[in-house]
Amino acid sequence: MAADRTGYIHDRRRLTAALLGPEAAPDPHPAPAHVVRGTLTDISPHMLGLATPEGERRFILTPQTTFWYGGECAPRELRPGQDVLLRCTPGAELVVERVWADLARATGVITAVDGDTVTVATGHDRAPVTAVIPYRASGRMRVRHPRLEPGYLFDAVGVRDGDTVRALIPATTQPPYPVVETPRRPPQHRSSAQVAGIASWYDPVRGQDTDTDPDGMLMGVAYPALDRTGDCGPACDRATPCAPLPLLSLGATVRVVNECTRVFAVLPVVACGAAASHFCDRCTVCDAPASGRIAELTLAAFVALGGQPESGCWSATLTVGGL
Amino acid sequence: MSETLQDVQLWILTAVLLLGAGTKAVDRTAQGPAVLLPVPLRRPFTVAHAAVEAGLAAGLLFCSGGAAYAVRGATAVLFAVGLVALVRLRQRDPEMGCGCFGGLSTEPIGWRALTRSGLFLAAAVATFGLPHSGWAALVHATPWHGVLCAAEVAVVAVLSPELREAVVRLRSPVPCELREVSRKQMVRRLHASREWHKQRPLLASPEPVDTWRHGCWWFARFAGQEGDREFSVVFAVEVGRRRPDVRSLVVEPPAE
Repeated sequence: MAADRTGYIHDRRRLTAALLGPEAAPDPHPAPAHVVRGTLTDISPHMLGLATPEGERRFILTPQTTFWYGGECAPRELRPGQDVLLRCTPGAELVVERVWADLARATGVITAVDGDTVTVATGHDRAPVTAVIPYRASGRMRVRHPRLEPGYLFDAVGVRDGDTVRALIPATTQPPYPVVETPRRPPQHRSSAQVAGIASWYDPVRGQDTDTDPDGMLMGVAYPALDRTGDCGPACDRATPCAPLPLLSLGATVRVVNECTRVFAVLPVVACGAAASHFCDRCTVCDAPASGRIAELTLAAFVALGGQPESGCWSATLTVGGL
Repeated sequence: MSETLQDVQLWILTAVLLLGAGTKAVDRTAQGPAVLLPVPLRRPFTVAHAAVEAGLAAGLLFCSGGAAYAVRGATAVLFAVGLVALVRLRQRDPEMGCGCFGGLSTEPIGWRALTRSGLFLAAAVATFGLPHSGWAALVHATPWHGVLCAAEVAVVAVLSPELREAVVRLRSPVPCELREVSRKQMVRRLHASREWHKQRPLLASPEPVDTWRHGCWWFARFAGQEGDREFSVVFAVEVGRRRPDVRSLVVEPPAE
């Protein structure tokens, strides 16, 4: 039955295009060759080995290669077995430009707080995340999240530490009210096929089995305006997003442009962005005025479009065809 | 003259309470004074508030004698408590709408909402001495009633930002790609279409195997069968138009 459903979802784009025209459901772009994810097997000053679902791969490190593991770090701080994401130099896919190790994120609504440990509900279709705020990050976390209490929003980027996320960098400025008291969004009277806002990221595999699971490199978006009557389901806990996003279902394709780098891709809707739908924040990365999260990209797609995962967002434009 | 004015208050209060109850019943999300309550109580409070308003409206229109005194007293109490709640809400959350007419009351509580609430409180108090019901007054209405009623409606309209909001919504409804629709509603529209009747003999079952949404279009996929040949019949139904455009397509399974 589940296989049937997956097959039906897979067919939706083809059938939508057949009835509304090809511009309604363009072909999704494949994963770019210059972004690679896997498990670190070995690292030396000049070479990096990675176990990926396609097999063992080796990459060249140069003096210009930068490393991130909770902050800028030296290559010797990385250890075999870590979940590693690489961005290589476009056109020279063996030369590494930047390396991120054990990236993780906790985005959603706080459900419990115990000292420096915060439990975050990340949406009806994802397991809750436990985030631990280390003492050295607590100051900057408190500035952007003044209310670490159940019911308030939380969004932080950090590194994976077993089953928990060590939250190091705040990725939003928390609204001063709990989610249930969010002011009602005024009804939208105007719409357009093109919506401006911000794009964030999530990890569809939560850093697990990136050497064998191809979903670690999944290119897609979790969409904050998934149709409630169909895919979002009876447990749907998404809010009405503050950007006027057209209602879509899983399998649709959208064109996402990173307004900071002007890189774009056509990506399929692969999940519900229930957590993102609560955020009506702005992105300071390239100072765009638009607010509201319009897409939560998979980690691979976010980096492929030129994003820095540690900054958490970029200004984006999302286009839906065939409306 | 004084009795004519009292009669008009009964009608105005009845109309206002009915409109308030109707708009709150349509949009049951907590607004206005309901947000002063704990979260689990907000929605039940909104429903109860709408029921009380509808009950009082019926009482104002049809009760006379002792029952009328009770209903008019309760109406005055309702508006007095409402006025206090609005002042309190304005202090706590200056951006919040009064919620007096459900989702239409989006403008932050200002002098207009407070004056209007005070006016309704005064109107409720003014009806205390009247021996007959609103309905009896309506049956024996005179041209003076009409003049006074029109003047008071004009005053209330000036004090009501909801009118502008209602006009905006009527003129430019929610665009079709943002409009939430129920599956039942879309199935009904599909069944009423010519395309459905044309393709119906091909369907193996009237229940869709998959449904999805793409902006202004809702799609339903059905299993189809003709002899040994199996295929799918897909319908696309436009959202938002009273007479929606419906398209259909017969799709052969992809070759193995």
